[in-house]
Amino acid sequence: MKVGLFVPCYINAVYPEVGVASYKLLKSLGVDVDYPLDQTCCGQPMANAGFEMESKELAKRFDRLFEGYDYIVGPSASCVVFVRDHYGNLLKEEPHRCASEGKIYDICEFIHDVIKPDSLPASFPHKVSIQNSCHGVRLMHLSSPSELNVPYYNKLRDLLSLVKGIEIVEPERPDECCGFGGMFAVEEHDVSGRMGRDKVQRHIDTGAEYIVGADSSCLMHQTGIIERDHLPIKTIHIVQILAAGL
Amino acid sequence: MSTKHSKAAGAFLKNREMAAWHDETLWMVRAKRDKMSKEVPEWEQLRDAACALKMYSNSHLDQLLQEFEKNALANGAYVYWAKDADEYCKIIYNILSGHQVKHFIKSKSMLAEECGLNEYLEEKGIEVVESDLGERILQLMHKRPSHIVMPAIHIKKEEIGELFVREMGTEPGNNDQTYLTHAARKNLRQKFIHAEAAMTGANFAVASTGECVVCTNEGNADMGTSQPKLQITAFGLEKIVPDREALGVFTRLLARSGTGQPITSYTSHYRKPRKGGELHIIIVDNGRSQILADQEHVKTLNCLRCGACMNTCPVYRRSGGYSYTYFIPGPIGINLGMLKAPLHYYDNVSACSLCYSCQNVCPAKVDLADQIYRWRQRMDGLGVASKEKKLMSGGMKFLMERPALFNFALKNASIANSLPRWTLYNGMNDWGKEHEMPKFVKESFNEMWKKGKV
Amino acid sequence: MSSREDILQNIRRNTRTRYERPDLTSLEEEALTYADPVGQFCKIMVQMGGKAVVLGKEDDLNEVILQLYPDAKRIASILKEVPTGEKIQLITCATFHPDEVENPGELDGTDLAIVDGRIGVCENGAVWLQQDVEQRAIYFISEALVILLDRKNLVNNMHEAYKRIDTGEYGYGVFMSGPSKTADIEQALVMGAHGPRSVTVILL
Repeated sequence: MKVGLFVPCYINAVYPEVGVASYKLLKSLGVDVDYPLDQTCCGQPMANAGFEMESKELAKRFDRLFEGYDYIVGPSASCVVFVRDHYGNLLKEEPHRCASEGKIYDICEFIHDVIKPDSLPASFPHKVSIQNSCHGVRLMHLSSPSELNVPYYNKLRDLLSLVKGIEIVEPERPDECCGFGGMFAVEEHDVSGRMGRDKVQRHIDTGAEYIVGADSSCLMHQTGIIERDHLPIKTIHIVQILAAGL
Repeated sequence: MSTKHSKAAGAFLKNREMAAWHDETLWMVRAKRDKMSKEVPEWEQLRDAACALKMYSNSHLDQLLQEFEKNALANGAYVYWAKDADEYCKIIYNILSGHQVKHFIKSKSMLAEECGLNEYLEEKGIEVVESDLGERILQLMHKRPSHIVMPAIHIKKEEIGELFVREMGTEPGNNDQTYLTHAARKNLRQKFIHAEAAMTGANFAVASTGECVVCTNEGNADMGTSQPKLQITAFGLEKIVPDREALGVFTRLLARSGTGQPITSYTSHYRKPRKGGELHIIIVDNGRSQILADQEHVKTLNCLRCGACMNTCPVYRRSGGYSYTYFIPGPIGINLGMLKAPLHYYDNVSACSLCYSCQNVCPAKVDLADQIYRWRQRMDGLGVASKEKKLMSGGMKFLMERPALFNFALKNASIANSLPRWTLYNGMNDWGKEHEMPKFVKESFNEMWKKGKV
Repeated sequence: MSSREDILQNIRRNTRTRYERPDLTSLEEEALTYADPVGQFCKIMVQMGGKAVVLGKEDDLNEVILQLYPDAKRIASILKEVPTGEKIQLITCATFHPDEVENPGELDGTDLAIVDGRIGVCENGAVWLQQDVEQRAIYFISEALVILLDRKNLVNNMHEAYKRIDTGEYGYGVFMSGPSKTADIEQALVMGAHGPRSVTVILL
């Protein structure tokens, strides 16, 4: 089983430690993981802004880059689900396909559903509040959406439960959007800012020290607000907790 | 970078207290909806059934509408077909003037709103009285609804108190909701009794029986249609359902989704005219048959107009109904506006963070967020894409297609961290208005990998 | 060409895939049911802002009604006699029949109306009223409403209810669930928007 690590552009540029933790975590779980060089962007920002066609070349590149792998695994639910849900359509006229969309996983989903570890060496003696991101919940099914009448489940909580010393909570309105939404955060910055402030406040109200999520984009948005308003909470990507001590 | 929606939303959010109240109140309705849906174990199957029934009925409109017409005629009703808003207004005016109606009482109808019926009739000298409390308040204030189910959700009781002092002679300063509601009850009771004709919309039109079904909590549709003997009922043609068995599905979903009640207080079935009275039914197209051809957006015709997508929409709750330029706000309004006239209503397409919550609450499974995503893809072709967004997307594309350039940019991006604050946080930087900038690292992941540091 | 033909032609031209009608049998079979229909109906009526009382074997119907609405003076009844268990009880507390008025507006000021319900739905407290008087205004214009309902006619859910309803000779019927209500002013729930402020179902 050969796994190609997918590191989205903003993680590459702003949160490389998330990429490092992802790699170490997969290695520690005995996964044969490699990083195909010179990755850039999956194309989601342009597509969500309304310029899907501008993502086409990127999708082609991406597809080729990961040709030799059985799985593609990345630490960003939103980017992963973009590949999964849109590449088939974007590349439908391509003669040669490596079908990235069929073999791409969010890292939490991959560990939870494919590797299924019983334990992790990690320890993180802190109270964390889960950021259930919209695309993670409603498109990738990492947890049960609050709107649906389905039994509760949460893959992030399951994985975090393997960490020693951790206390896990979820905020009120557990999967309401934090307001990032790519260019939405810029075009509709008043609403986006309000959503982000409301979200961060609900995380703070749980008494947690950290907001933990599987999408660095939501965390980046909330970090920007926390820093601007000097709020008493920090953000952390889930892989950094799961890989703690590696 | 802005749209009419984003600007209006900014203005709405300036009143912090009101905006927070709006968000909390609508969230409460969403929470009631969640509770209701979870009391029905077969909830998700119900939604599937509702969607499948709508897909069936909307793909058999020609047959079902004719079946409805045949049965309605056999029941003794008059049936009219209106191509557009103008024809709909004219038909109603002709019925009213033919019966010398001067006083006309209406229950809530979004179709009437869509077609500008009140203005049309008032210009011709007919007094139109809205009987739904929220609609009546707005009519007296000369305002339009800000929500399709809770039309006056944006108005505070103090304003209503002042309005009722003028209009209904209530005690000044008494803004108690029960007091004000009962004052309106008394006032409107006389309007019901003295009206010469009453009108309703319809939530459902049943092909197999030729009956129209109207759901209200106030009982205003029934108060109206049980007084004057002249009744007019009009509906958009997608309101057709095959039979009463289908109603079993829809009536279980509608109120639970919309207001978080197990059912509305009144689910009224109008099949025949009253003894010695007349029932006039108008089937309205006004662009709907055109939507059938648009495979990407045909599911908007599934909409039951329950309002659940508005209540759950984090953007709607924080921007209010008036921030949208189409008369129906929220996720369904964004899509219906684009189907009506994209060049007029494209400003609403920005009002979505693509969180997909609307899709999960919709009782008839309209793919609301997917449709908004698709509209965004069509904006450039329509010539209405945001220039800044296009520039940003183009720039990103250029950069991301060139890994060497991307790596070069990454290497130098951290320079931005040390720029003077005013160069980063000025009026030009919409991100910087709400957030601190993300800090670019000195060594990107690509760089670290190459150096063997991972 | 008439608008009718125009619209139908447009529909035919624009209709793409024709979808099959879904089979609802399994949904209807699996839908909510209640082990104790009377208990559930009484509970849900309270939730809907109304009330349901069970008429005891020895109870006098008129006494029960007058205890519920002691201040009612102008009382309309659609029914003259009501079968309750083994015996038939006469409605004697009513002062008039709604069809005695010529104009429905004259019914304004009715304190209480006694009407009969055909079907009661346990999942939502809705009672099917099939119009059986000329002045159906009585269901809505009265300040309070007493609905008499045979407890044998309780059904679990709307699927079952829709199999059994009829709109009768008058061509009208309504599922009524509790009193008239509104929350149009700041979402504060107020009973008695336009119709009855109070609704009691008496289960026979």
